[in-house]
Amino acid sequence: MGEESSQQKDEEIVRQIQSGKIGLFAVLINRYEDKIKRYSRKFLSDHEDINDVLQDIFIKVYKNIRSFDTKRKFSSWLYRIAHNELINTLKKRKKKTLSLFDLDILFPQSANDSSNSLNQQIDRKDMEKIIDKCIDQVELKYREPIILYYFGGLNYREIADVMQIPISTVGIRIKRGKEIMRSIFEKSGYNL
Amino acid sequence: MIMNNQEQKSIEEVVLNKIKSGEVKMRPKIYFVLKTTLIALSVFVVILFVLYLVSFIVFTMRASGAWFLPGFGPLGARTFLFSLPWILILIAVILIVALEVFAKHFTFVYRRPIVYSMLIIIALVLLGGFIIERTSFHPDLFWRAREGHLPLMGRIYRDPNMMVEPQNVHHGVVSELTEEGFRLKKSNDEILNVVVSGETQFPFEKEIKEGDIVVVMGERNDDTVQAFGVRRINDELDIFQRRPPRFPPEGR
Repeated sequence: MGEESSQQKDEEIVRQIQSGKIGLFAVLINRYEDKIKRYSRKFLSDHEDINDVLQDIFIKVYKNIRSFDTKRKFSSWLYRIAHNELINTLKKRKKKTLSLFDLDILFPQSANDSSNSLNQQIDRKDMEKIIDKCIDQVELKYREPIILYYFGGLNYREIADVMQIPISTVGIRIKRGKEIMRSIFEKSGYNL
Repeated sequence: MIMNNQEQKSIEEVVLNKIKSGEVKMRPKIYFVLKTTLIALSVFVVILFVLYLVSFIVFTMRASGAWFLPGFGPLGARTFLFSLPWILILIAVILIVALEVFAKHFTFVYRRPIVYSMLIIIALVLLGGFIIERTSFHPDLFWRAREGHLPLMGRIYRDPNMMVEPQNVHHGVVSELTEEGFRLKKSNDEILNVVVSGETQFPFEKEIKEGDIVVVMGERNDDTVQAFGVRRINDELDIFQRRPPRFPPEGR
């Protein structure tokens, strides 16, 4: 079962879990635990909190797995649950409301993956190094799409689905976030 | 790395143990079907209510004559603004925001800027509200309420504050032409003498005949109104023309 399931697509595994093979849920945990942990670390710094939230995320995924449409992408759905859980944890902890009405959402300008000059200047690996060093200093609204894009492997459309914001806003936030990080990186005198 | 593996295992173990022990259970499909149905029903009810509200606002404003005031220039526009039912408008705005919040759960809504979906919702609500207002829906309820056949909602239509004329605005049928102007028969059968002068504004048609339904703006002194402006209301615009056949038109 192990080898066979390790080659199956997420959506196929979910379909089997939905029909009763609950043991396969372990495969999904194995596949996504590290990714979700890395994603969670960018929201929460406390190690214990992250483990608790991680458990809650996977429990929520299991509870709601029958609502998942296997024609859609599982990772986007999982990140959406993780996003909600992390935002709720942050709200509880900081007792701070996260803004629903953001100018980027109200009036986003056009932006896309390829037309970004910054993308051409800095290649993906360099960007990942910059992110590792500077991401904590960037506002959450820019931090989250950058993490999902560079470490979660999601495209703009999938990130829009996770965060439930316009696709153009995702582009703007990634672009601005990268600009902010680059400036922090340069000011700190780091070398690539 | 070893520690990391142990940690991974523990999270996996904890979750799987909870599943195997039955502490955590998968929600049945019917739960999600019911939840979706409930949300869809709530959205439907909110849509119906907001359409009713918008059409009712327009209906009351036509009934009071306030709707026709912007035709009387800046003074008319100012009176129009003051006579708007702001509480009902505020409720409608809250419901529109609630619809936007509901709509934001749909992919085709959140993938686009919020301004677009908000504008589309507002446009559809206004359009729907105006279409309903043009039907006999509200006049029928209004006349039923008058007959006493509308026990629950009747109060809304009978409420004297709901369709009260704004200050210095008089709405009714021209019952007789006089040398100074004309006599105006209001819906409560009160007769007013309307004095028309050279300064009186006629936004659309100057010629007034007996039987015309008009809105007069002007200061009232006893039974006399010095007309600042007179506007003949097209029959189609007047809600009282859309009364059910069992009510013969008044003043005709």
